[in-house]
Amino acid sequence: MSTVIEANGLTKFYGKRRGVDGLDLHVNGGEIYGFLGPNGAGKTTTIRILLDLIRPNAGSASVLGSAPRAGGTQLRNRIGYLPGDFVAGGRQSARELLTHLGHLRGGVPAERISALADRFDLDLMINVGSLSKGNRQKIGVVQAFMHQPELLILDEPTIGLDPLMQQRFPDLVREVKSNGQTVFMSSHVLSEVQQSADRVGIVREGRMVAVESVETLRRHAVRHVEVHFSEPPPADTLTGVEGVSDVVVIDSVLRCRSTGRADALVKALARHDVASLTIQEPGLEELFFAYYREKAEHAA
Amino acid sequence: MLRNVFTKTLWDQRRGLLAAVIGVTAVGVLYASFYPVINTPAMRDAMAAFPPAFLDAMGIADMTSPAGYLGSTSFGLLGPILIIIVGAALGATAIAGEEEAGRLDLTLAHPVSRWSVLIQRFAAMVVGLALACLGLALALVAISVPAELTAIPMANLFAAALHMSLLGTFFGALAMAVGAASGRRAWAFTAVAVIGVAAFLGNNLGPSVDWLAWTRDISPFHYYSGGQPLINGVQPADLTVLTIASLAMVALGGLVFDRRDVAV
Repeated sequence: MSTVIEANGLTKFYGKRRGVDGLDLHVNGGEIYGFLGPNGAGKTTTIRILLDLIRPNAGSASVLGSAPRAGGTQLRNRIGYLPGDFVAGGRQSARELLTHLGHLRGGVPAERISALADRFDLDLMINVGSLSKGNRQKIGVVQAFMHQPELLILDEPTIGLDPLMQQRFPDLVREVKSNGQTVFMSSHVLSEVQQSADRVGIVREGRMVAVESVETLRRHAVRHVEVHFSEPPPADTLTGVEGVSDVVVIDSVLRCRSTGRADALVKALARHDVASLTIQEPGLEELFFAYYREKAEHAA
Repeated sequence: MLRNVFTKTLWDQRRGLLAAVIGVTAVGVLYASFYPVINTPAMRDAMAAFPPAFLDAMGIADMTSPAGYLGSTSFGLLGPILIIIVGAALGATAIAGEEEAGRLDLTLAHPVSRWSVLIQRFAAMVVGLALACLGLALALVAISVPAELTAIPMANLFAAALHMSLLGTFFGALAMAVGAASGRRAWAFTAVAVIGVAAFLGNNLGPSVDWLAWTRDISPFHYYSGGQPLINGVQPADLTVLTIASLAMVALGGLVFDRRDVAV
């Protein structure tokens, strides 16, 4: 598999303020990579280095085989970029802006712009300045995808989009993946990328702390289960059931944690009269802690 | 109009440029149409009473000839000030203004180099300033008969306007260079204000003081009006100096711009 993005020991300080501090990154061709971390972890800094908008103090980066600066305009022609805060001059229509940006890339067919705009219910005739944050973000999404670049670098792509559009976004991402395009997208919440990402990397305080496939993470995920029975269940309802831990029963309510396959749990519960069942997916942090705790236990 | 950064910049600035053309033209025309009122024996006597050094310091030449009058008014103070303001505004916006508004990221993430953006925006500014000055020249030609300005050859009106557009380009290039190097519009405006005042004083006051005589030679105002284009027509050597100085400033700004980080 080819390497599309590679960074080694990437370091960038803005005066004394840290951007990234020794960040390593490896993105394969054709994959969807979720770049996760809390705000201020260094995601935007990394992305802006990849686009040669800022230059690192130390370390190296390579995008599609060349260093961002050396790659210059030829490299950027192969990338679609959605900035974290998409801003554009207000006194022009969305079509005007998108056509201009298309020309900078040697021209993008008008039908392609219209098709993408339709998909996100974006009215191309409206002035950019009078658009809401969400609608401006749609322009940002359209301009990043419209020239069908080999690599898409998206900084918090779904921020500001309304829930319906947030649902359409993963479809678009999966579609470009099936074209063989690579997607590198940042986010501060896992749920945003887990629907589409193949792998996620977690960045914290300027460093990459973990890289895993979404599949592996999910397999090791600890879910919070809450079951309401019609009548108080026997205390040993879930004793010895595979993948279940921390069982607490209070009256007719049972709470527990479930890891890995849920089959045994479901079958054990099915013997009783279940009124309602809630399973909560774990948050990002919890997911990683659980995964690494388990890894450590296996090693011991 | 949407093809490249050059045409897109002009297109985006069309409203502002129209206002600049109207403003520069209106001020020039209002001054010029006042000439028949000024051109009286009483005014001639009054002007003769002033010490020549004072008139030089104010940038006022012989007010009673058409060329002298226009050179002291439309092309003397307010016209250049207006065109410098337009140049500074266009120059400061070109890189620093876009950057402060957070819009530069998007352009630079496209397959266009920083040098290319700088040069295309500079070209758009030059065209904008030329249009404003062309508007002024055409208007002066139009009113030359009623304003009793026919003693000035038509070609010289265009020559003076060309010199004025190069003066605007000089200060616009200064603003663009400082803005491109620093990313700060305020610094660009400050540079134009400080250097503009110093250059004006250097041209008009310097020669009256022995040890400051050299200041005229480094003042852009000297290369703008020293050759008296309203009387002598286009001064290619002076225009060359202004052009080279402008290009040199933009190039210096570009060298820094190409190496520095772009602010979010």
